[in-house]
Amino acid sequence: MSDLLTHAEYLALAQEMDFPRTAFIDGAYRPGRGAPFATINPATGQELAQITGCNADDVDLAVEKARGAFAQGHWAKLHPSDRKDTLIRLCKLITRNRRELAVMESLESGKPIRDCEIIDVPETIHCIKWHAEAVDKIYDQAGPTGDDALSLIVREPIGVVAAVLPWNFPLMMLAWKIGPALAAGCSVIVKPAEQTSMTALRVAELAHEAGVPRGVLQVLPGDGPSVGEPLGRHMDVDMVSFTGSTETGKRFLRYAADSNLKKVVLECGGKNPAVVFDDAENLDHVAEHVVNAAFWNAGQNCSATARLIVHKDVKAPLMDRIHARLRDWKLGDPLDPANHIGALIDAEHCRKVRSYLGETDSDDGPFVPPRVIEVDARDARARDEIFGPVLCVIEVASNDEAIAVANDTDYGLAASVFTASTRRAIRAARDIAAGTVTVNCYGEGDISTPFGGYKQSGFGGRDNGIHAHDQFTELKTIWIDLTDPAEGDNIG
Amino acid sequence: MRFEGIYTPVVTPYFDDFSCNEDALAQTIEHLIGAGVHGIIVAGSTGEYYAQTEEERIWMMGRCADLIAGRVPMVVGTGAIRTEDSVRFASAARAAGADALLVATPPYAYPTGREIALHALAIDRAANLPVMLYNYPGRMSVNMDEDTLDRLGRSANFCAIKESSGDINRLHMLARDYPHIALSCGMDDQALEFFAWGARSWVCAGSNFAPEAHLALYTACAVEGDFTKGRAIMSAMLPLMRVLEQGGKFVQCIKHGLTLRGIDAGPPRKPLQPLNKDDKRQLAEVIRTMNATVSNITGEPI
Repeated sequence: MSDLLTHAEYLALAQEMDFPRTAFIDGAYRPGRGAPFATINPATGQELAQITGCNADDVDLAVEKARGAFAQGHWAKLHPSDRKDTLIRLCKLITRNRRELAVMESLESGKPIRDCEIIDVPETIHCIKWHAEAVDKIYDQAGPTGDDALSLIVREPIGVVAAVLPWNFPLMMLAWKIGPALAAGCSVIVKPAEQTSMTALRVAELAHEAGVPRGVLQVLPGDGPSVGEPLGRHMDVDMVSFTGSTETGKRFLRYAADSNLKKVVLECGGKNPAVVFDDAENLDHVAEHVVNAAFWNAGQNCSATARLIVHKDVKAPLMDRIHARLRDWKLGDPLDPANHIGALIDAEHCRKVRSYLGETDSDDGPFVPPRVIEVDARDARARDEIFGPVLCVIEVASNDEAIAVANDTDYGLAASVFTASTRRAIRAARDIAAGTVTVNCYGEGDISTPFGGYKQSGFGGRDNGIHAHDQFTELKTIWIDLTDPAEGDNIG
Repeated sequence: MRFEGIYTPVVTPYFDDFSCNEDALAQTIEHLIGAGVHGIIVAGSTGEYYAQTEEERIWMMGRCADLIAGRVPMVVGTGAIRTEDSVRFASAARAAGADALLVATPPYAYPTGREIALHALAIDRAANLPVMLYNYPGRMSVNMDEDTLDRLGRSANFCAIKESSGDINRLHMLARDYPHIALSCGMDDQALEFFAWGARSWVCAGSNFAPEAHLALYTACAVEGDFTKGRAIMSAMLPLMRVLEQGGKFVQCIKHGLTLRGIDAGPPRKPLQPLNKDDKRQLAEVIRTMNATVSNITGEPI
């Protein structure tokens, strides 16, 4: 059971909070040398702190320290069980500081405190712990060889990883990257989104306290041109793991091509369908999942259900249930644990979301109420990633048409199908081009299942599961000749 | 804030009864600004803050702010044994219109690096002004070690350090590992070395009475990057440095040097005693030789 505080208690905690304001480089807070910027509470518009932004010089310094730490091997060559112990110590420190992190996350991102406390912080801990626990249980392989040779197929940490994060899940996306990358033995340089830098900085400080050596985990706040691009173009960064917009993802591919062909893993946008067939059972259950999927985190979620593709025969009863459920979704101050929807991340994003709704001015400030709109499948609102609390409903006349509409998108991150027929469910799961297809529920799987996209939703690897570990490692073949030199060529 | 140039820790002129000679203070500040120093530090050790009451120190901040009148930045020292006192001085400095603070380690308690950092962060929270740290283990018995400097990275206000340890290895460590903390020379006899490692400022008590020579060295090294000329000027200044840094009568020499310029800086407060006749004669001789030599090198009359 949760132990949420009262609204007043959260406000008091927020008042007293000491915010990190500088980069974390080489085991210590250090001011960045780029332009300072304000981090704003999106719910109130108030400035929380001035953060020293980083620039290309800071990137150079951080990469030098990361490379030095990797080469020294205090982390990379540590016994996996010892890396596990250190990361589990980090999880304990995050647990001990969970309330501070939850409030900081809510203040900076506008996310409801109840989500931060119940979902984001626990999931962050769970993710890092899972990868820590896994890393000393991963076996390499021996290849099939004749008697005269031994082949070993081993995985080694890839080296210096730049993890570029989005603002919608500052802590969870941090964990998705640093959990497997640190467990694998890499040195990681994190560029948080400029709207949400603080929890990543605090976690880096806690990691240092837990025993992660200097240079192994560094956080460089700043904007894309000042930090993201220099990381993407750096000749001594081995890999970029990026979560964010498809447009920026394409830029990282270009940077890699123009520099050192660094490995790039992209987890980008989505316009995810929920397909409700004519035989869907228990429409209350369907409505519950669709509403949660569309409006959790105010729809600012790349795997949010943005399109409800519903058969005409079940549309009316389903819509009634969706509207009924939405009445329970309270909107308001993110620090009030009664609220389910907080503020959108910033004014610019609000304008973008509202422009899809045909609204220019609004009295709601950064709070955009959830909307359910009926659109044609060709409408821009049915195709663009709005990244807000907007569910587009598309009516279809047949189950085949539903699949066709579901696939009629540039994206392919997640999808869900609702049907009573096992055969139809499996056929649909196969037919829909998406990285995750859930049946009779909405979800992303869990920490043990890979997450990532088809088409323009992603590229190069998968988050979560042991597959996430794989993407932060290189595969190496070791081939050993076992012939006895004294016996010449006789063997084999 | 970027600390660039000559920052003079201004002396506090006294009458023979040890009350403040306000006229001499005003003359001193006019003389420094006229000579072209880049900033003035109030309540540095050269200003004998340790011998002043809280009321006098706070009065000095306000008086100097009025006299400086925004023409150059005013930096205020917060040195005190008690953290609470330093915090109060920092708040008073902010109220008086200080542009920055000089934050030293608290003496006598022998704090650890972490404790020094918490002391400095408390001052920072109270004033939120740019800070020049002041590392002077010779007087305080402790160093601002890596633990201190790492923890202080949390606030970008800690943007410079006046390094007065005399330890050349610390100079290297600061230059390489803490590039975000600007180096400020706090060891007069190592000024050339500081400039070679990229220091852009010099907190030099000698500039109270010899601003021209100090400015000449700063200009040659930090502005023109001419270290051949800089070495010649430094060589001419070293006899003075020896008297100041190694003679054990630092404040007395500075005050008498100012008196030689025609501004009566008066005696130091107790327990210190004024220079004797021989010391005064030696100091006058050293200053005269230095100024003549520097003038020859730069071609500027002093």
